[in-house]
Amino acid sequence: MEILNVLAGEAPYLFRGLFITIQLLIGLLGVGLVGGVLLAVAEVYGNRLFSTLAVLIQRGLRAIPALVLLFLSYYAMDLPPLLISIIALGLRSSAYQSQIFRGAIQSIKSGQMMAARSMGMSRLQGIWYVVLPQAVRLAIGPWSNEYASETKDTSLAYVVGVVEIMRRSRYIISYTYGNALLIYGIVALVYFFLTRAGNSLLYWLEDRLWVPGFERRS
Amino acid sequence: MDLESRSVFTVGLLAALLMTVFLGLGVQGQEKDVYKVGVDANFPPWTYVEKGEYKGFDVEVIRAIAEAQDMEIEIIDMPWETIVSALGSGKIDVLVSGLSITCERDKIIDYSQPYWSVNQAVLVSQDSDLNAITAMTQGNKVGAQRGTTGYMWIQDELVDGGVDVQPKAYENYVMAVEDLTTGRLDAVLADTTTAKNFVKKGRNVKIIGTVSTGEQYAYAVTEGDPYDLLPKINEGMKKVFESGRWMEIFNKYLAEYGYAPPATIPLGRELTCE
Repeated sequence: MEILNVLAGEAPYLFRGLFITIQLLIGLLGVGLVGGVLLAVAEVYGNRLFSTLAVLIQRGLRAIPALVLLFLSYYAMDLPPLLISIIALGLRSSAYQSQIFRGAIQSIKSGQMMAARSMGMSRLQGIWYVVLPQAVRLAIGPWSNEYASETKDTSLAYVVGVVEIMRRSRYIISYTYGNALLIYGIVALVYFFLTRAGNSLLYWLEDRLWVPGFERRS
Repeated sequence: MDLESRSVFTVGLLAALLMTVFLGLGVQGQEKDVYKVGVDANFPPWTYVEKGEYKGFDVEVIRAIAEAQDMEIEIIDMPWETIVSALGSGKIDVLVSGLSITCERDKIIDYSQPYWSVNQAVLVSQDSDLNAITAMTQGNKVGAQRGTTGYMWIQDELVDGGVDVQPKAYENYVMAVEDLTTGRLDAVLADTTTAKNFVKKGRNVKIIGTVSTGEQYAYAVTEGDPYDLLPKINEGMKKVFESGRWMEIFNKYLAEYGYAPPATIPLGRELTCE
């Protein structure tokens, strides 16, 4: 079949698109991780000002559709499309991640912070050395959900001109005037494996970091 | 690093990022080293990507124009939904992608002289017995790509005129034609060139009539032409035609569809807007 020859020729370019997708994914999850932990810490431990601010940012970002955030960032910033998408989707992810980390932080008994303080640690030291190491472990499970959902949302970045795997696959559909089912099928498989690979890695990490005596994913 | 210096580092990084963003907004010069040419790479034979390479009639013509006029250009792919507003807000400097001149678009972008004429063709599936009139009445579902002149025509002339049709917007014409062949649509309205391509590429569709919209394709720049590109493009178009390069590109991309080449380029503009 002719389309198979076309696909063989296009495979390297689809992979290039996949590489962009992965760059976008790692970038936005990184922004989201830093932002999410900061927001969560501010929400739980911050004074009135910081905690209110964190709650407002987090609620605002969660209430705006990803597509709208992408367009807002695109017209407000003069940066390469990939960076714009990393910032826009990363900020939104930080709002979602903040709720994962907030839940995890709040599941650590407050007595631990008191113990840390009574041993002479500052509040920040208590958060960094006592609470977060435990909370982060607990957060891996729900975080894998965020990973899966962001993986799929990277496909939105084409609207601001990021040529990721979805856009690459559309190129082929366009110039062959069809084959949409076959090509989207292949792309669906690629997303499936990307999501599965990431989740397996996270589960492995969860087991690896498990502390004896804590609850464990069976 | 301890926690304190870490957070200082993070704040510094964020501040640096914000600075770049706001400084970046202020840049505006009269000439640029490299002009950004936006294309929607889903519009063969005008603009498309094959094996990672930009191809198509418009891509090669604008490259020839740039060469003749000594301009540096960079081709950037933007989806059709974004491309006109990206040009309007100066995110890209030139748009070349089989763009029809309309007065609505004329408000936010400026056109070069036209280089191609099209009408709208009515496509139906091969086994359909609809004609050009029945296809677009009787409550039938008519599809077109969102934001195209075809879709605007269905809205403005049929729906707003009280004709009983159901317009369906698609992200691109391939999807619309796909739905036409599976029976989810009764007809598709597309530029005559685009429509002929689907027939030629063996999709299960036929053209049953054309709507004379008398549209013309042109290249476009940001409103007000901030970099004085239009005179360069118009002059370049002429040079490229006179040197015979235009016909070479025509033969490569358009001759196979059975078009007669225009006698001269650029064409005279037919549509005047206030």
